[in-house]
Amino acid sequence: MTRLRASFSVEHLVSRILLFGGLLGIALVLLGLVLYAAHGGFRHHVLDLRRPVGQPPGVFVSVRQVIDGLTGRPIDPLAVSALGLVLLMMTPAVAVASALPAFWWTGDRRYALIALVVLAMLALSATLAGSLH
Amino acid sequence: MNATMSLTVFSIAVLVTSIGAGAVGAILGLGGGILLIPILTVFYGVDLHYAMGASIISVIATSSGAAAAYLRSGLSNLRIGLFLVMATISGALLGALLAGVVPTRALELVLGLALSYSAYTTVKQLRDELPESPPDDPLALRFDLEGTYHDLRLQRDVIYRAQRVVQGFIAMFGAGLLSGMLGIGSGAFKVLAMDYLMRLPMKVSTATSNFMIGLTAAASASIYWSRGDIHTLIAAPVAIGVLVGAYLGTTVMARMRNTTVRKLFLPVVVYLALSMIVRGLGLHLP
Repeated sequence: MTRLRASFSVEHLVSRILLFGGLLGIALVLLGLVLYAAHGGFRHHVLDLRRPVGQPPGVFVSVRQVIDGLTGRPIDPLAVSALGLVLLMMTPAVAVASALPAFWWTGDRRYALIALVVLAMLALSATLAGSLH
Repeated sequence: MNATMSLTVFSIAVLVTSIGAGAVGAILGLGGGILLIPILTVFYGVDLHYAMGASIISVIATSSGAAAAYLRSGLSNLRIGLFLVMATISGALLGALLAGVVPTRALELVLGLALSYSAYTTVKQLRDELPESPPDDPLALRFDLEGTYHDLRLQRDVIYRAQRVVQGFIAMFGAGLLSGMLGIGSGAFKVLAMDYLMRLPMKVSTATSNFMIGLTAAASASIYWSRGDIHTLIAAPVAIGVLVGAYLGTTVMARMRNTTVRKLFLPVVVYLALSMIVRGLGLHLP
């Protein structure tokens, strides 16, 4: 047990989570684009780069909308990409959340506490963002 | 400027651009917004809000890709990153609340002058490969703000310890505060604070900044998302390109000299300083 703790590196754990979170997010983004292309989404599609009044296709403002797009029939391919973007956006917070117990387990209580403070700040920002909206 | 474009052409062009932005971002510890926002808005005619939404995705993708590699090689310091990001996020939170209260133009001018001074100090230490061995900072010892990495260029292990931790922490808070108030990325300020104030090796500074920018961007990503600024068809090629670019950037940066990274970083500081002074003086450039 002690030897296991000594060889365990919080850095490697965080590194793995960032890598796999990023790759999983990007894989879903790519899958969504492939499905969109397979449905003929790219054919003669002229993308409007201005921001219209209202919500154009491809813009999701809540997780609820992404889930609706994923569970609807036919499935909205862009909701698959949006899910990938959401996973990507969550990856840094998940990495810190995993560092917290890892620091604690290796005996570094001080950094477990610091990871907790950082997580609380991220949660506070998200809450404030919601209330400002 | 055409505000519409064939989706296929747009996706391929943005993908290629983003590979470059991701590589530069990974080497210099910036999110790539400083490059991507002007390119997307000026060359491709993307709405500024969509460009900023894509930029926040770019920052997180750069950070995930680059920090994953740098944490494994020891170039990113997890403890220094977490310790300092407390200051940056709390600064950014306060900044977002103060936005609109404090006159923006005066702030931009002050920031522009501070960055000009930073550019000057960067020039002065342009030839320093590694900082001199430091006197022990009590806070650095207490919070374990030190580390070792194997430098592929110098072909030896480099041991470092942070100096002037209090000043560094205050600078990080200021960086967060200004980025929150002015709506600009703070990657460059993080690198400057670690390189100049805390005297960390330049490569450790940019690599650790890469880890931190993901967290500060994640803190504000939900704002952009709920505002409807993140357009999937614009952010998707950016995210894919940037992740590939960030991976390429990390392999290049690991083999660079610290002085080379600093030389590449200097034009960014000069550009930021000038653009802030121009904005502060209320001049409008094309």
